[in-house]
Amino acid sequence: MEKNLYNIYKTFFKVGTLLLGGGYVILPLLQSELVDKRNWIDNDELCEYTALSQSIPGLIAANLSIFVGYKLRRTGGALAAISGMITPAFLCIIVLAKILEEVIKLKFIQGIFWGVGIGVLILIYLAIKEIWHKSVIDKFTFTVFFIIFLLSVFLKISPALLVISAIVTGVVRQAILNRKKPEGEK
Amino acid sequence: MIYLQLFLEFFHIGLFSFGGGYATLPFLFHIAETQHWYTAKQLTDMIAISSITPGPVGVNVATFAGYTTSGVIGALIATSSVVLPSLIIVLIISKLLEQFKHNNYVKSVIYTLKPTGCGLLAAVGVNMFLNDMSLCGIILFLPLLILSFFKKLDPLFYLGISALFGLVLSFIKPVF
Repeated sequence: MEKNLYNIYKTFFKVGTLLLGGGYVILPLLQSELVDKRNWIDNDELCEYTALSQSIPGLIAANLSIFVGYKLRRTGGALAAISGMITPAFLCIIVLAKILEEVIKLKFIQGIFWGVGIGVLILIYLAIKEIWHKSVIDKFTFTVFFIIFLLSVFLKISPALLVISAIVTGVVRQAILNRKKPEGEK
Repeated sequence: MIYLQLFLEFFHIGLFSFGGGYATLPFLFHIAETQHWYTAKQLTDMIAISSITPGPVGVNVATFAGYTTSGVIGALIATSSVVLPSLIIVLIISKLLEQFKHNNYVKSVIYTLKPTGCGLLAAVGVNMFLNDMSLCGIILFLPLLILSFFKKLDPLFYLGISALFGLVLSFIKPVF
């Protein structure tokens, strides 16, 4: 399939439609659509983009689409990919939001929502576990985790403020490391 | 002006949320407390709907929050604002990929940000658990939790079982 903007949009529209239950399923979907079926990128590139997407702010699915789109057709490709990714989500929610107020009065719908709410707690727990394995790897990262957790649960400090403090901590940490090490050994 | 506020709130979510779709939740709960655009209960419903509809959960919730606040235009603004920081950051990084990967300061910041995202998400998990849990909730939650220790299952499996349990329960139990 030719790598034109329309095809990029269409491919990501398809992936966005199949993306159910959280962003972590995006990797196998992209592997099947972009690597296996279309040969647009290879597996190594996809893995590198995934790692990068997880280490910068923003939704992983959005970051990953933009990386791949950019690789395919520069800025235009990035725009086509991200638009394709969010269109199904957008349309679906707009339609649902319109009927939601009526629908939510039905008792069995309330029951389903209640159940899914509990299921989401399991998914959040699994997401925490997965991120934990990758991020809490030594004393320093454990301390950061614990302090952020306590400040967020008990003091309800704004998450943005905590993220900014973490960025500052990261920079200061590196500056201290640089000073400790002799020149030229960085 | 509501549109500008929507833009600012969702742009800052896209800029500061770390670690995937559910990482937007701490910010969305914070908005519920500070802006009163929706309640925490409404947000919990939104999260449930977003988890069973196509698309990244973060995008779903942004669209939903924008729509409840000020209709289709609000939804458009919230959705594009939440991905705009990604677009800017990724485009810059794509151009400077090599320098970015090997800079020590960048590495140190990422090393600190990852456990931060984890801590924020854990805090949301605990708060949601305390808000949502009831006896029936525990009866559903505990077996699923124990199951997840032993078997790696598709996320949709948990949502499907939970939805079914809720559906059956709605015919037995008068109120939720």
